[in-house]
Amino acid sequence: MTAFKINGRPVDVDVEPDTPLLWVVREQLGLAGTKFGCGVAQCGACTLHIDGEPVRSCIVPLSDAEGRSVTTIEGLPQDGSHPVQRAWAELDVPQCGYCQSGQIMSAIALLAQNPKPSDADIDEAMSGNLCRCGTYPRIRAAIHRASEMN
Amino acid sequence: MKQRYPTFSRRSFLAGASATIATALVVPLRFETALAQQGGAARKPQSFIRIDTKGRVSFLLPTSEMGQGTHTGQAQILAEELGADWSSIVVDMPKQPLPDYRIDFIGQMRSVGSFGIRYWHDPLRRAAAQAREMLTRAASTRLGADPATLRAEKGFIVHAGSGRRIPFGELVEDAMALPVPEQPTLRPENERTLTGRSIPRLDTVAKVTGRAVYAIDVRRDDMLYGAVRLAPVFSADVESIDESSVAGLPGVVAVAPVPRGAVVVAESWWRAKQAADALDITFTKTPADNLSTEQIDAMFREALDRSDVPVTTLRGDAEATRSSEGRIVEADYAVPLLAHASMEPINCTAESTEDRTELWVGTQGHDVIRMTLERGLQVPAEKLTINTTYLGGGFGRKTHGEIALQAALASRAVGGRPVKVLWAREDDVQQGQYRQTMMCRLRATLDDAGNITAMRIRLAGPQMGLQYGFDPDRFAERTGNLANYDPFSVAGLSDMRYVIPNFVVEHAVVDLPMPLCPWRSIAHSFNGFFFESFMDECAAAAGRDPLAFRRTHCLGQARMLAVLDRVAEMARWREPAPTGLARGLAVVESYGSYVAQVVEAKLAKGGVTVERVHAAIDCGRAINPSQVEAQIQGSVVFALGAALKQKVTIRDGRAEQSNFHDYPLPRIDESPSVSVDIVEIGSPLGGVGEPGVPPAAPALANALFAATGRRIRSLPLSDHL
Repeated sequence: MTAFKINGRPVDVDVEPDTPLLWVVREQLGLAGTKFGCGVAQCGACTLHIDGEPVRSCIVPLSDAEGRSVTTIEGLPQDGSHPVQRAWAELDVPQCGYCQSGQIMSAIALLAQNPKPSDADIDEAMSGNLCRCGTYPRIRAAIHRASEMN
Repeated sequence: MKQRYPTFSRRSFLAGASATIATALVVPLRFETALAQQGGAARKPQSFIRIDTKGRVSFLLPTSEMGQGTHTGQAQILAEELGADWSSIVVDMPKQPLPDYRIDFIGQMRSVGSFGIRYWHDPLRRAAAQAREMLTRAASTRLGADPATLRAEKGFIVHAGSGRRIPFGELVEDAMALPVPEQPTLRPENERTLTGRSIPRLDTVAKVTGRAVYAIDVRRDDMLYGAVRLAPVFSADVESIDESSVAGLPGVVAVAPVPRGAVVVAESWWRAKQAADALDITFTKTPADNLSTEQIDAMFREALDRSDVPVTTLRGDAEATRSSEGRIVEADYAVPLLAHASMEPINCTAESTEDRTELWVGTQGHDVIRMTLERGLQVPAEKLTINTTYLGGGFGRKTHGEIALQAALASRAVGGRPVKVLWAREDDVQQGQYRQTMMCRLRATLDDAGNITAMRIRLAGPQMGLQYGFDPDRFAERTGNLANYDPFSVAGLSDMRYVIPNFVVEHAVVDLPMPLCPWRSIAHSFNGFFFESFMDECAAAAGRDPLAFRRTHCLGQARMLAVLDRVAEMARWREPAPTGLARGLAVVESYGSYVAQVVEAKLAKGGVTVERVHAAIDCGRAINPSQVEAQIQGSVVFALGAALKQKVTIRDGRAEQSNFHDYPLPRIDESPSVSVDIVEIGSPLGGVGEPGVPPAAPALANALFAATGRRIRSLPLSDHL
């Protein structure tokens, strides 16, 4: 059994501890907002937070979550009222939307560390998150917008 | 829950009259088509527009939402014409591919060809106007008022004189008894208040909260998971499967043989994937086992020199295109195979038994799935239910149905339990259905003034249309060409818009032993690169400015000129390039829209950075300008990724690339800023999802030429930098 917190709620899951956290979150815990894209930490679609730090959950074994606090996109306000969500909505960032949970989780981590990021800061913090639809120009603008709202 | 619908007829449109279902006014997408295909009581007409007695309005849309914003655009068209309350509409898609949802000349329900708005705009408006007139007539009787004094707005029928208003819901039962008007009157332009505006997308909130459901997110009670093990050589099939090789592995439930491989079914996808990797499976030997990219290239080069290739397209005099008089410019170009690499890997969930098959899938090809299951598993259309989810990208790849068959077979292997079959990224990159590789030889004759008097173009490569059953000679006849016309190969050349008096296009066909697939903008994705790079070569040979040279060849081409002139203004083309930046220009018409782009690039040691892209599009009236901008921005990023870095190469008959480390997508630090202007000059509606792709690669190649004087004629460019 592995015990940890998911979006503030304590859970205890009975899954082989080498299973990547991504699949535990999606299949056992039923939180499908965190996505599978590559399985090798190349695309960032599976980004979630462990103790506030963004990680690629497709390569983090479940055992790493033991006793820690995991936050997924579902841990944000479900009405979309987080400043990053609001900025994303204001600029209509998503197209297919599949990568956007990961983008948003990375953006929140960036802004927590650096409330007024430059374009270069954004490029550095967000370059691990691929978007096949090419929403990057709006992602960049939305991070600046969220930064103003904070 | 499956909905049940009563039958209907032209005289009495009594949809919803049955006591067993909720009462609602139901108008089919295309009334005549739906009626003609009704074929007796068993046929279920679809509730395309459905308004229930509580006034709830829902639309069952004909095009899948894969990011292109089509659901929002189509709903804007419908809600505006109907007079519905925008804040309360619901959109979904039908559970079967129905006749009135098919694109006529394809004969299928498909989300392709940038058709979402340009094809469906008129049918959507007409159906919405039919529903509005039925509600209006019902209100007219109720109020004893002339229908001309009534307006539909925000979910009410409003009487202009008295201000009395009746909500749609209260009129539904009366409206249901009325015949569907055959020639409804469309709203005048000054009442078109929802289209032409940058209304926020309907799906944005769901997509920023993680609630949007993609096929990969579907959950069914008692669901199992499947991972695939498929033949790495595209034309190979299974020789043997040793199920005992995975029998003892944790979580494994079954091994289902499928065409070209197997699905391993397990309690979790992770376990299924590990077992699939461990599965002892062998594949048949094929003549393509030694195929390599070098061999393909050699076959293409040989085809460029072939003497027996028929002329596909001829304008003017063919002999003039062979003449050695005047100044001759000649060059060979090439592009590689490309994978689509949607962010959501290919997947489908199925519950399938002899009695019924239900799918949850993000698909661009509803009828393809129907036909795949009909052929592969003898599933009759009436026993098939397709639940269409959002697509995490499509780009053409999700027009195929193999995943649906794999999921249905996996479900049958476990007695009809739901199984979600999900490809790993490696499967997605390596399982073919690529954008075709192509070569092209172009030869132009310039006169003393530096104008092109003749051009001869030969493509060498496969004929993708053949794999879809398109007969190239029949297509030639249909399109006014001479012979051998494959729209998936020659579009963008045969129909290019420049005025060149003597012009020949040929296609030297080289079949490839692999399935191919439309890739965002299809033939334009390579012909745009070939042609617009070559136009730049011709301009350079003539010693002319690339913009002025193109304009000279656009006599009478108002839309070409409009986008060229606009992008030239945006980029201040007539002034020197910004310090340290090189500029390149390209313009391509595709899918009924014209797009011109200027790329501003910085060349440094070890590569090139695209700093900024200016784009001007003429797509007719922009239904949602913000989404037009988004599509052009995204298309530029998509196209630059292919232009700079992407290729699939073949060795030993199989793809060499496997994941994003060797099939790189552009990242945010490689993404330029992209400014977009929409040029509205009264043109007919054009597509938006694809036309932004073709000009980007040649504009970048042309910028590199401007910077270095060196012409790169094959993609990806980074192979040469």
